[in-house]
Amino acid sequence: MTFRTRLLIAFALTVIVAVAFVGAIVSTTTTRAFGRLDEQRASALAAQFHQEYLRRQREIAQHVKDIADAESTRDMVIALSHPDADASTYVDAAQPLAAAHNLDFLELVSATGSIVSSAQWSARFLYQEDWVKQRDDWNSQEPFLKREELPTDTALALVAVRVSIVGDSKLYVIGGEALDRDFLSSFVLPAGMRALLFREPQSIVGAAGPVPQTAALAPLIDDLRKQRREVTRTIQWTADAASAETFHAIPLIGPSDELMGAFLVGSSRAALVGLERFLLRVEILVATGGILLALLVAFWTTARITRPVEALAAGARAVAAGDWRTQVDVHASGEIGALAAAFNQMTRDLLEQRDRLVQAERVAAWRELARRLAHELKNPLFPLQITVENLQRARAAHPAEFDEVFRESTATLLAELGKLRGIVGRFSDFAKMPQPQLETVDLNNLVRESLKLFEAQMQATGVTLHLDLAAGLRAIQADPGQLGRALQNLALNAIDAMPNGGALTIRTAAHEDGVRLEVSDTGQGLTEEECDRLFTPYYTTKTHGTGLGLAIVQSVISDHGGKIGVRSEPGKGATFLIDLA
Amino acid sequence: MRAAPASLDPATPDAAPLTSLVFETLVRVDEAGAPQPCLALSWQHDATAKRWQFNLRPGTKLHDGSGLTAATVVAALEAALPGVTISATAAAGNVDAVIIRANHPMPDLLLDLAHNGWLDTGPFRQTAFEPGQRAEFAANDDYWGGRPFLDAINVQFGRGLRDQLADLELGKADVVEAGPADLHRASSHGRTIWSSAAVSLVALAFNPAPDARPREALALSIDRAAMHAVLLQKQGEPTAALLPQWISGYAFLFPTAQDLPRARTLANDLPPAARALTLTYDPAMRAARPLAERVAVNARDAGINVQVSPQNPHADVRLVEVRLASLDPEHALAALAAALGLPAPAGSGSAAALYESERKLLEDFRAVPLFQLPVLYAASSRVRVYTGPPVTRLGDWRFENLWLSGTAP
Repeated sequence: MTFRTRLLIAFALTVIVAVAFVGAIVSTTTTRAFGRLDEQRASALAAQFHQEYLRRQREIAQHVKDIADAESTRDMVIALSHPDADASTYVDAAQPLAAAHNLDFLELVSATGSIVSSAQWSARFLYQEDWVKQRDDWNSQEPFLKREELPTDTALALVAVRVSIVGDSKLYVIGGEALDRDFLSSFVLPAGMRALLFREPQSIVGAAGPVPQTAALAPLIDDLRKQRREVTRTIQWTADAASAETFHAIPLIGPSDELMGAFLVGSSRAALVGLERFLLRVEILVATGGILLALLVAFWTTARITRPVEALAAGARAVAAGDWRTQVDVHASGEIGALAAAFNQMTRDLLEQRDRLVQAERVAAWRELARRLAHELKNPLFPLQITVENLQRARAAHPAEFDEVFRESTATLLAELGKLRGIVGRFSDFAKMPQPQLETVDLNNLVRESLKLFEAQMQATGVTLHLDLAAGLRAIQADPGQLGRALQNLALNAIDAMPNGGALTIRTAAHEDGVRLEVSDTGQGLTEEECDRLFTPYYTTKTHGTGLGLAIVQSVISDHGGKIGVRSEPGKGATFLIDLA
Repeated sequence: MRAAPASLDPATPDAAPLTSLVFETLVRVDEAGAPQPCLALSWQHDATAKRWQFNLRPGTKLHDGSGLTAATVVAALEAALPGVTISATAAAGNVDAVIIRANHPMPDLLLDLAHNGWLDTGPFRQTAFEPGQRAEFAANDDYWGGRPFLDAINVQFGRGLRDQLADLELGKADVVEAGPADLHRASSHGRTIWSSAAVSLVALAFNPAPDARPREALALSIDRAAMHAVLLQKQGEPTAALLPQWISGYAFLFPTAQDLPRARTLANDLPPAARALTLTYDPAMRAARPLAERVAVNARDAGINVQVSPQNPHADVRLVEVRLASLDPEHALAALAAALGLPAPAGSGSAAALYESERKLLEDFRAVPLFQLPVLYAASSRVRVYTGPPVTRLGDWRFENLWLSGTAP
């Protein structure tokens, strides 16, 4: 990934993170504000509920008391107190009384607990309401919640009981109002809020009628049943988050401390979700615009920043490719400009140093060549000098034997001159190394053929040959003559490195995209410095030789597009590694 | 009146109260149920009761002014009494007579004649009739019993009990039908209540279904005593029999007491679907809605859910009121069975056989009798009774006995 790309991504990420951060803050703040507003509205509605509940309690208590205190009711008490009283006369008495006092429920119950008249269920006359006889202080009791059975339903009622007493006779007046749709309709609800009434066991009504899909409210009801205190829960009606509603539930507790229902204040989250979605859309728009703007700015900025950097990188690549004359044309100020100037200075310094190094190496090479030539030539020259001096002394001191000495001396001279010619020939060969003639070669066969020449020598010196040749090795393109001589040169060096015998191991193997040839010996090994200089022409660790063998091997391998290396430690032998394509 | 008859034909059930204003028969039944002379002044039969001779009341005139003759009577009876031979003859004193002969004894012929062979010789003549709306009657100056005190009678049809009571209270009517629940109100301010015998059966009639257990459970759950005491103001009597006690004499043998434990046991054994019933009623029927609702309340105590709705043709149960058609127990039972959708009872010759027939009719609870109610009328304070009852035991009008205060009787 380019620096410019990274810079662009960094710009874009910065914009996205910034927008997301701002968006998150706005969303969180908005959500909290809405939450607070919801809480305030729910609290206001809850307070409204409590006030309305108390108002109705007072109203119901007053209405029931009015009925109980009415003269007609007292007349009824008196009439019913007679032993032969006919209660059937009053069987329809409750309905008009209930209607006149705006009560949904009204039952007139005799002192024995028998219903004389029921407004809500007229057919229940003479049924027993024994619970009403269980206390005597009804006139001081506040209205309470009661589950009122109706012909086809069960209603939740706020009920008051008052007792009409005349002398020793009494009549219970049980009146109340239903907590139902009408009750809910009395609340003033802000937009987005609604009030529901839950009645045990599972009836839920709103101002508009029964609420469908009440199963979604089951967790809230369960919480109410367990906690029996005001609870708040968010209900999601459909998969759409906008359908969610936060419900604040106020439990309605009966006289026996049982949960009889609950007042549910629902606050729709549609507005909040709508606002959140709007904010999200704005964030996406801002982020997208920001990213595009950032890309434009970043493109322009990075172009200014990365152009000199890319020029420097190109210059560095050129230097790496060997063009040490490379100079970058950067007109920048600051660090980039300084870097470009330093780069140009560096290449100039490198060029100068390389020239000096080449010159020094040339000098060193010539010195080494001179040293080698001197060394190589000195060895045959010395016998030549001795032989010539012997000839001179023999002619002067022993003329009779001169012919004999002359014949022997000329033979020696010819031998030494032959050596000199050989030395000159090898130097000449190194200078005239030909280009390889490539053909398809089976490396394993080449190894076997090349090493046949050394079987007698290895046997004589106690060297054991181990061939570890990979089966199925693919053929390579090589000059078999040059590659064979290079292999023979390595084998000869290995045999020379083991004057007291040892093991010569030749190994071939597939390697990366080509093949590898390893030549290992168990000789005395090489030092690290020797390893570094081993392929330098005219360098040798042997007491004889020109020091050109490994240089020639390296030249052959290089001409084949391969590379050669050595791995060795003193006392642990040496291994030459040749990789060929 | 609640009924809205389409005609004054005595065969029309809805026209029953009006029939006695216009039409008469050879014989009528008195308050004790005994046959009394009407168009026939006297009668005789042979020892086998196969031949009867009815001597017509002399001087009787039909509403068209013609005299009542034996031929007229024979023509009226021939259609009503199939299987007998009816002939006209002259009796002693040149009185027209009608001979009725049959191959079998006819011990109940007098009761049959009390409800058959209607002739327009009654105390009032029909002067106007709008089917289903109203009828007007004028006094029959030539009535054999003497001209009625009332000059005319206007009858409004199809008026509900509440409306009739309001008409009475507003002075728009002098005589109205009354429901048991209205008795207390109707009897105030000097108004008079007239009552027939318990001639109207209130019962539950079930649609045919193979399983009798829901019907039995519902029947056992009903607290007739409470309904009778409160809703019916103790009018009539609770009953579990089809025929009233005063006719059959054995109605008390059918238990009327509520048996809630047994009802619950039966209901508990029922599948849930069988524990739900629909009950319907005719809103024009007296005390129908409160009675039906009370039945539902009682059923609920037994574990049966009864949904009450008026005029539901698909209901499982109907609350019905069936008027007694005859003073003859056998005929009355057959008529009641037919009205309730029960099979025709087996013929009987004795009270025991009649009881057995009735028991068999009721044993699978296809019909559950609840009450025998009288027909009730409320009359304004200016309506006076000169002599005799204004309403017969069967509820027929005897308005020729009435006069209005402020007019000389």
